[in-house]
Amino acid sequence: MTRPRLRELAALFFRLVNFTFGGGDPTMAALQREVVDRRNWLPPEKYGLAYALARVTPGTNVIAFSAAIAWFIRGWPGAVIAVAAGTIPCTILVVWLTYGYQQLKTSQYAVWAIEGMLAAAVGMMLAAAWTLIRPQMRRKTWLRTGALAGGAAVLSAVFNLPPIEVLALAAAAGFFWQGPGAP
Amino acid sequence: MNLLLLYLLLVKATATSFSGLTSLPIVRNDLVLHHHVLTDRQLNAAVVAGRAGPGPYGLYVVSVGYFVAGVPGAFCGWLAMVTPAFLIIPIVRYLGARAEQPRVRSAIQAVTLAAAGLVAAFAVPLARDAITSVAAAAIAAASFLLLAATRLDTLWIIAGSAAAGLIAGLLV
Repeated sequence: MTRPRLRELAALFFRLVNFTFGGGDPTMAALQREVVDRRNWLPPEKYGLAYALARVTPGTNVIAFSAAIAWFIRGWPGAVIAVAAGTIPCTILVVWLTYGYQQLKTSQYAVWAIEGMLAAAVGMMLAAAWTLIRPQMRRKTWLRTGALAGGAAVLSAVFNLPPIEVLALAAAAGFFWQGPGAP
Repeated sequence: MNLLLLYLLLVKATATSFSGLTSLPIVRNDLVLHHHVLTDRQLNAAVVAGRAGPGPYGLYVVSVGYFVAGVPGAFCGWLAMVTPAFLIIPIVRYLGARAEQPRVRSAIQAVTLAAAGLVAAFAVPLARDAITSVAAAAIAAASFLLLAATRLDTLWIIAGSAAAGLIAGLLV
C-alpha cells in the first residue's frame, strides 16, 4: 500500500466529495476508483468494511465513509483533514445559496422561481422517503416495511409522538422482528 | 438562539438519523414546533439549498443553521453534520464484527424505515405551505416522479422547477 501525504489526501477528498453530484453512492464509487484501484492507498477489504459500517453510523453516510477510509490511510489526522476538505467548500456554497435566497425574496420574478423550487422540495422529501422504502417492498417484506414506515408516520402525525421516541420504538421493533427478508 | 443549544439540537437530529434527509423530522420538531426559530418555508428552502449544489445530502442542516443564526449558525450546522461521522472510527475499531449481526442490522434497517415514514409524514405540513396552486402541485408531483423513477440529476430538477414557477407566475 502507498502512504500518501496529508496534502494529497486533502486534495482528493476536496475534489471528489465536493464536486460529485448525485449524493453519497456516486461519491463513494468515485473514492473506490481512486483510493483502491488507481492509487493503491487502501486494500479492497478495508474499503468494504468502511462502506458497510458507514451505513450503520449515524449521520450522513458519505462523511462517515470518508472519515473511515482516511483513518485507515493516515489515522486521526487523515480523518479530520478528509472530512474538513470534503465538507467545508460545499458548506460555503450552501451558505451562499441560502444568503442568495434571502436577498432574492424582494424580486417578484425571484419569488415565482423560489415558489417553484419550494414546491419541488416537497416532491424531493417524498422521493427521499420512497427511495428508502422501495428496496424493502418485496413480496416477503412488504408487511414489515409498511408496518414500520406507516406505523412511524401514524405515531407522529396522529398521536404526536416525538420523532426520537418513534425511532427508539422502531429500533426495538426491528431488533425483535427481523422478518423473512431481513438483512 | 444560543449557539450551543442550536448545535446540540442539530447534532441530536444528525446523530439519530442514518442518511441525509432523515434528520428532517427531528429538526422540524425542535426548531419549528418547539423553539419557533425557523419556519416551515425556511426549512423547505434549506432542503432546496442543500440539494442545489454538489456534496452530501445532509448539507441542508448548514442552511438551517444559517436561517436560525447567520454565519455562526451555519458553522453550528456544519459541526453538527460532521460530528457523528467520527463515531465510525471507534465503530471500525471495536464493533466491526457486531455490526454484521442480523438483529443489529435489522434494528438499523427498522430505524431507517421509520425515518422514511416520518419524512413522508412531515412533508404534509411543508406541502401546506409550499403547494398553494395547481402549478405548484404539478411541480411537486413532477419532482417526485423524476426523482423516484429516473436518474436525472437533482440540479436539473431544481432548475426546471424554478423555470416552471417563473412561467406559471407570468401566465397567471
